[in-house]
Amino acid sequence: MALYEGIALIQEKQAVVLDLGTDYTKFGFTGEAAPRCIVRSEFWCAATRRYRRVHDYQTADELYDNLVHMLHLLYFRHVLVNPKERKVVVVESLLTPTLFRETLAKVLFTHYEVSGVVWADSPRLCALTLGTPVALIVSIGAKEAEVAAVVHSCVVLHAMESQPLGAHAIHAELRRLLDEDNDATLDLPDLVIEDIKVKTCFVGSRSRAQQWEAARAARDVQFACGERGRLRVSGATRERAAEVLFARDNELASLPDIVLQCIMRCPIDARRALAENVLVTGGTASLPGLRARLAQELRHLVTRPPYASRLHVREFKFHGAPAQDSAAAWLGGALLGAGEAGAARATPRDVYARARRLRDWRERLMADFSTVPEWDHMAAVLTCYVAYNNR
Amino acid sequence: MAYLTQPDYVKYICSCGQLKPITSLYFCRHCLKIRCGFCICHEVDSHYCANCLENMPSSEARLKKNRCSSCFDCPSCFHTLSTRATMAQPRQTPQDPAGGDTKVESKQPKKMYYLSCFNCRWTSRDVGIPDQPVASGGWPERTNPFAARVNQLLDYYKAIALQEKQEKIERERKKFTIRGKYITLTDKTGLTGAMARNIAGLPSSDSSCSAIANFVPSQASAEVEELPEDYYTKEVNLNQITSMPQRLASPEWQPVSVSRLHPLAKLLSVKRSQRCRVCDHNLTKPEYNPGSIKFKIELLAYYHVPEVKIISHEPVKAGEKTALLLKLTNPTGHEMQIKLLQPEDLPPPEEKEEPKSIEKSLEKSLNLEKDTSSYKAIEREPQYSVTSRVTSPPTALTLAQRDDAAEYDDDAQHDTTE
Repeated sequence: MALYEGIALIQEKQAVVLDLGTDYTKFGFTGEAAPRCIVRSEFWCAATRRYRRVHDYQTADELYDNLVHMLHLLYFRHVLVNPKERKVVVVESLLTPTLFRETLAKVLFTHYEVSGVVWADSPRLCALTLGTPVALIVSIGAKEAEVAAVVHSCVVLHAMESQPLGAHAIHAELRRLLDEDNDATLDLPDLVIEDIKVKTCFVGSRSRAQQWEAARAARDVQFACGERGRLRVSGATRERAAEVLFARDNELASLPDIVLQCIMRCPIDARRALAENVLVTGGTASLPGLRARLAQELRHLVTRPPYASRLHVREFKFHGAPAQDSAAAWLGGALLGAGEAGAARATPRDVYARARRLRDWRERLMADFSTVPEWDHMAAVLTCYVAYNNR
Repeated sequence: MAYLTQPDYVKYICSCGQLKPITSLYFCRHCLKIRCGFCICHEVDSHYCANCLENMPSSEARLKKNRCSSCFDCPSCFHTLSTRATMAQPRQTPQDPAGGDTKVESKQPKKMYYLSCFNCRWTSRDVGIPDQPVASGGWPERTNPFAARVNQLLDYYKAIALQEKQEKIERERKKFTIRGKYITLTDKTGLTGAMARNIAGLPSSDSSCSAIANFVPSQASAEVEELPEDYYTKEVNLNQITSMPQRLASPEWQPVSVSRLHPLAKLLSVKRSQRCRVCDHNLTKPEYNPGSIKFKIELLAYYHVPEVKIISHEPVKAGEKTALLLKLTNPTGHEMQIKLLQPEDLPPPEEKEEPKSIEKSLEKSLNLEKDTSSYKAIEREPQYSVTSRVTSPPTALTLAQRDDAAEYDDDAQHDTTE
C-alpha cells in the first residue's frame, strides 16, 4: 500500500494546458508539441438552441456558466480525461479582465476540483518557445494586437502596447469592402467572412500599398456562398482587407507603430537586442504576406520621424516559433508545465480555498514593494537585469 | 413533461438552484436530494471508438492520443472514411509478347485497399497515399515537423529546472553546515568534489549541464519570406485551399492546400459516470460494453420524483381567473402525499448543522477528502420570474403507487373505449 502511494506521488498526472482565446480555444497536454484540439470558443446552449460564445457575457454568473460548459466540452469531448486532481496551465494575456481570471479560477478550483493552476502570461510563454534571453513578442489575435518585450523572462510592463488590430478589425473591413463590391448590404455571418478571409485575402508588399492604384490589381474571385449565390470578391478587396492593420493616422496606432513604440519605451540597452529578436505570432499572423509587410514597414518607419531621432535601431530580425502560429503561446505553456519548475509554481487548490482570489501584476505595481512577499525574488530579477545591462 | 423538439415547459428546481427539465435530473438515494448535471461530478469511465464500437483501455488510449487505430475521418468533410478494395495488377516489366503469357500465371492480381469518403468522394489516392495491402491499419503516420525542436526545448528546460533544484538544495545545506572547525576529508587529501563523485560512481555534476550547454537558442533571420510575385496575378482556385475547420482538425500540421490533407484517425468517445459531490456515491454508471446503452447504476429523478404535466390551460388575462389542469404521476412503488405550495412558502435550504460532539468534529477534521465547501460554492438562488399566481387546492393529495400491472391488463379499458 505504501509503495503504491509512493508511486502515485512521484508519477503526477500529466497536466493540461488551456488557452482560452476569444475566437479559438487551444487545449492539450503538457510536454506535447501541439494542442490536441483547436476549437471555436463556443458551445451548444440547449436553452436558447444556438451556439453561445464563451466571451459573450454580462454578469459573472453568466460567465461562470459559459466556462463550465466550455470546459466540460473540452475535457469530455476532446481530451477525454478526468479534470479532478490534475494540474492546469492557463495561458492568458496580461490584459485579461480580472473578472474573467477570477471566474475561471473559481470554475477550475471549485467546479472541476483541479489540484493546481499555473497562471502564465502569453508573451513569456512565446519567448520560452524560442529559448532566447530577449524577445519582442508581437501577438496578433482575434481582438487585439499585443506587443510585449520580454527581457530575461521579465515582461517590460510599462512598454507593453495593445491596439484593437486583430482578426475582428480585418473582418469588419472585409465586410465593408464586400458590401461595396456587391452593391448590397450582405450582412454575412462571421463564419463566412472568416472563410472568405482565409481563402482569398493576403497582405501585399509595401511598394504595392504605396501605389496600389497604379499596380495591377490582383485577380477577382467568385466566392460561392450557399443560397446567396456567388459573391464577387474583387482583387482590391483581397488585398485591402488587412490594410487596416497598417493604416496610419496622427495617433500613430498602426501595427508597425506600436512595435516601434514598444521598443522605444524599453531600456536603451535592450532595444537593439529586441529589434533583432522579433517573434510575430497569433492566428492572424498566418495571413499570407503579413510578416514580410510588417518587416518592410518597420524598416521604413524607423528611418522617419518621430522614430529616426530617438530610436537608433536599424536592423530587424525575425524568429520562427517551433509551432503553428495560432499555437505558439500554447506550446510555451506545454513547455512550462512539463518541467518540475512549472508544477512548483502552480497555485494549489488549498491555497486558493483559503484566499479565494488570485495575484495579479497590477497590484504589484501599486503596492509598497517591501510588503510584497516576493520582494526577494523581484530583487534577484532586478540584479540580473542590471547585470545584463552592464555586460 | 420534457419534449425533444419543444422548449421545456415544466422545470424542476434542483437542490443547487438550477432549473432543469425532469429528464436531466438525478436523485441521490443517499442524500435524498435532487441533483443535476451542474452540481454533480462527471468522470471518464471508459474509452471506446464510436465507429467500430471497440473498447480501449485508458492506458492504451493515452498512448494512442485518444485516437482509434483502425477508423478514420474524412479530412475534407469529417464523415467516416470507408475502406475500399481494388484488384491491383502487379507491375509487369515490359517484355517481348512471345514470352509474356507464360509469366502471367505467376503474377496473381493482388488485393489493395484505399480509404474513400462516401459523402464527398475524397479518397486517400487524391493526396498520394499509396494503397495498402492490408485492410486495416498500416497507414503511414506523420510526425510533427517541430517535434525534434520541441524535444530539445523540453530537455533544456528540464535541465534548468533540475539545476535550479540542486542549487536550492546546495544552498540549504550550506546554510546548516558549520565549516572551518573540522578539516574535512576532501581538504586533507586534496580530493576534489568531482573526483569524489567519480570514485563513488555518481554522475559528474555537470552532466545535467550538457543539455544546457548544447542548447542552441532560436536563430533570428533578417529575411522574411515574401509572397511570390505571381501571387497577385495568379488565378485563385478555391477548391484547392482548405477552410478553417479543415486546417484545425489536425492542429499539428494545419495544411493550407487540399493536397496535403491526410486521413484523420477517429477521436475516441468516452462513457461517463456521475458521482454526487456531497456523499461521493455513484449516481449513474454505464455498462462497460460500448454497444450497450444500459446503466449499472442509474439514479434518475424520473424514477423517484412525481412527474408534472400540463394537460391544458386557458389564456392568462389580467385580473381574471383561468383554469389550469395539471397531471401528476407517481413513478414509485409507494403511495405519495403531495401538497402544492406557493413559491414563497418554499422551505429555505437548511443550514449545515454544527458538529454536535467532539468526536464528530474530530472525524471531520481528519477526513480531509470530504470537503463540501466546494459544493457550497456551486449552489445558487433559483432564478425564475412570476407573472401570475396559481391558487392551489389546500388539501394534500394522495398519489397511488405505480401500477405495474396496468400496462398488461388492457382488455378492461380498451374494450370500454372502443
